[in-house]
Amino acid sequence: MIAVSPPAWASLALGLALLLLIGASGPFAAPDPTLLYHGWWPRLVMSLLAGGGLALAGAVMQQTLRNPLATPTTLGVISGAQFSLLLATVSFPGILSAGREWVALAGAAAAMGLVVLLAWRRSLAPVLVVLAGLVVNLYLGSLSIVMLLLHHETLNGILIWGAGSLAQSGWGGVDFLWPRLLVAMPLALLLARPLDILSLGDAQARSLGLSLPQIRLSALAVALFIAACVTSVVGVVGFVGLAAPAAVRLLGVRGFAAVAGWSVVLGALLLAVIDLLLQSLSGSFPLIVPTGAMTATLSGPLLLWLLFRVKLAGRPPLPGGAHLPSTHRAAPRWSPILAALAIAVLLALMTGQTLEGWRWLDLDQAEILFEWRLPRVMAAGGAGAILALAGVILQRLTRNPMASPELLGVSGGAALGLIGALFLLPGATAPSLAAAGVLGALAGIATVILLTRRSGFAPERVLLTGVAVTAITSGIQSILLAGGDPRGQQAIAWMSGSTYFVDMTVAAAMAAVAVLCLLVVPLFSRWLDLLPLGPATAAALGLGVGRSRLVLLLMVTVLTAGATLIVGPLSFVGLLAPHMARLAGFASARAHLLGAASLGALLMIAADWIGRQILFPQEIPAGLVASLLGGAYFLIRMRRL
Amino acid sequence: MIALGRGLLLALLLLAGPCRALAASELPRLVTMDWTVAETLLALGVVPQGVGEVAGYRAWVGTPAMPDGVQDIGLRAQPNLELLVEMAPDRILVTRMFRSLDPILSRIAPTSFIDNQAGETAWEAMVAQTRDIGRLVARDRAAADLIRATEGRVADLRAQIAYAGQPLLVVQFMDAVHVRVFGVDSLYGSVLERLDLPNAWRRPTNSWGFSLVGLQELVRIDARLVVVEPLPVAIDLPDNGLWLALPSVRRGDVLRLPPAWSFGALPSARRFADLLAAAL
Repeated sequence: MIAVSPPAWASLALGLALLLLIGASGPFAAPDPTLLYHGWWPRLVMSLLAGGGLALAGAVMQQTLRNPLATPTTLGVISGAQFSLLLATVSFPGILSAGREWVALAGAAAAMGLVVLLAWRRSLAPVLVVLAGLVVNLYLGSLSIVMLLLHHETLNGILIWGAGSLAQSGWGGVDFLWPRLLVAMPLALLLARPLDILSLGDAQARSLGLSLPQIRLSALAVALFIAACVTSVVGVVGFVGLAAPAAVRLLGVRGFAAVAGWSVVLGALLLAVIDLLLQSLSGSFPLIVPTGAMTATLSGPLLLWLLFRVKLAGRPPLPGGAHLPSTHRAAPRWSPILAALAIAVLLALMTGQTLEGWRWLDLDQAEILFEWRLPRVMAAGGAGAILALAGVILQRLTRNPMASPELLGVSGGAALGLIGALFLLPGATAPSLAAAGVLGALAGIATVILLTRRSGFAPERVLLTGVAVTAITSGIQSILLAGGDPRGQQAIAWMSGSTYFVDMTVAAAMAAVAVLCLLVVPLFSRWLDLLPLGPATAAALGLGVGRSRLVLLLMVTVLTAGATLIVGPLSFVGLLAPHMARLAGFASARAHLLGAASLGALLMIAADWIGRQILFPQEIPAGLVASLLGGAYFLIRMRRL
Repeated sequence: MIALGRGLLLALLLLAGPCRALAASELPRLVTMDWTVAETLLALGVVPQGVGEVAGYRAWVGTPAMPDGVQDIGLRAQPNLELLVEMAPDRILVTRMFRSLDPILSRIAPTSFIDNQAGETAWEAMVAQTRDIGRLVARDRAAADLIRATEGRVADLRAQIAYAGQPLLVVQFMDAVHVRVFGVDSLYGSVLERLDLPNAWRRPTNSWGFSLVGLQELVRIDARLVVVEPLPVAIDLPDNGLWLALPSVRRGDVLRLPPAWSFGALPSARRFADLLAAAL
């Protein structure tokens, strides 16, 4: 008797579901030959190809980068493709006639090239690759949102692509995709042995005669090629690449070849099942529910369920070192940071464009200063500092450089609350939207805390839970935006966050909270120095690991919830500022906290001002500009590591 | 004949525009982010002081033409606040869609949120909205004239059109696979109804009266397609299998119309009616 393994059971179940759905919805239910031949069959084949491809790409990347959160999205492939499509649509429509796929593929390749270039000097060390990818991602993502805000009408079609619709109108897409997958998939299997050895650790792999950069580069290239091809045809189908390999590992499969193989099977079946379900529901909605956005929404709960049914066995190794290699031994210098902060505040308060061009504020214009500028500066600075503090705590707590308060589920919840109120309550005013945001944030916090309580708030679970919650919310956002409702532009503007709606009361509260945090949070420096050493070491040194994690986690969520409502969930100050502080040489927990807070405040104040001036009279939300500024600093510094 | 009439009308409008604007100098200074309000104001002979995304208005709404002196006040979703303070408008005029900007705009000037979905039908809503705007800018007469002229024009067109073909399916392409199809509650749909033309789209629509669907949803509807431009950049009418299988494409009776703003008000509705009548 052969013991049937868990992944085989899972595949069998999904396969049966697929057959049932095919029987219920396909050739037997809609016997229109044209529709079947040009629409239904290509769509089924496409969903299988895309699901399998993305799952394989995800498995390869998680293995190569030793990070359970790595997906093709991580390395900027998808944002590269999206940005190139947006740019081509707005500025160079001519080249789109060569085929949308090629434009997307070129953008994806360029983004990946940039990531590799940035991480090349350190033989593509996983931490560095992930960080480079993250920054490239943020950068291109923010640029894309700016373009969406400025050219909302022109770019409606790209929003559908961005939500990943599998609808086909012929065999063209399948014809483009299958030969490419046929070439790339066997290449990935060839890499199975070296990738297994790689997971033993760098030293071991080297002693067995492997060339690390070579293996990593070829593995990443294969994964990204697959992901880019799939994405260019069907658009952004998120999360299959994350959920399928994660599910396979949680089901107890070990060894790269097995993980990759089962991921392909599960990913393909999962996407096909979801797509068929959605098709059978379509028609009852006035808007299409694009499959990509829906997979994100559905895979979230699936991942959560698996996370709590199964022990975290056979998990991939933790990221090799949570932080950037510290090459910077010189003591950090405070004076340039504080000077820059002072200059930014002065510029933001006193200068700006008017109907007559640039003007230095006159003394009799107190109304402009106190009513309109000061609140924005205070709120921006306060929110920046708070998010930066939250980011430092979170990155030290989870020992993961990708950890960002914006990914904790808090921001996702806030965004969902806002967008839901905007679309469902036609008469909602700014205060009621903010209230909806608070409710959403609280729901997000509650979800993460409830779901991770049993594990003693193990960092990995907290992050995965946060990612799952965020995936659910971002999926719903994409669906609403793809529908083409004219309120989409408002939704984007609200989510990108800005100090737009702040008045003096809110600003003063924000600033007061920020000052309070600067006084209180450094009291926890000892915990934050010990926790990055690992739970065993920290406990041996006398730290109550579970309790300190809970306290810190609560602190992070409360801080993030407050700040997110001001600067929006799309700012990545909480991610970037802690890394910037480390790059500037702030090493101990206490210095790291204070340095990151100052840099976060600086970043947001400068961003708010630049956002209002650079495309005057259009105001670009501060959160977006902060991602662009912080990202630029990061890219420049990173080349010197 | 129809084309000639349209040309004449346009010429009249062009002549009339500046004269009315001059007479309007004592009117309150009005600002709007909303293109629907902007086109109605211009049709009433009121030139707003500022409008959101002026270049976008010119690209997507087009008529009535926006005069050169109108100040761009920034993004429609979040207009530039300091600029608005400096311009010191007497009133900010927007539809309810911009309700989320409520308390902040009221700090700058009295703000009116016009209900753009009042009335049983989309047409009635447009008429009511026009009347509201007319009242708010003290142009009741002009508003009544605009409503009468538009309804009269559409009635004339209905009398001229003798259409006995398949029901119509008004679509706008979003990409090579997805289209917006307009139902009775949309601007296009309400014009079809007024012209006594059958609309083939009976499925549920969103609050703007359209459904976003894949081409496959259109295969089994025997209708004549009306494709409203602009087509997405670099996508001419697609040549994929499903498109070629659509009944209307097989018969070769697809209509292509120049752009008309699908979220607009009476001026856009009239433009669409003229374009459709000329094409049929």
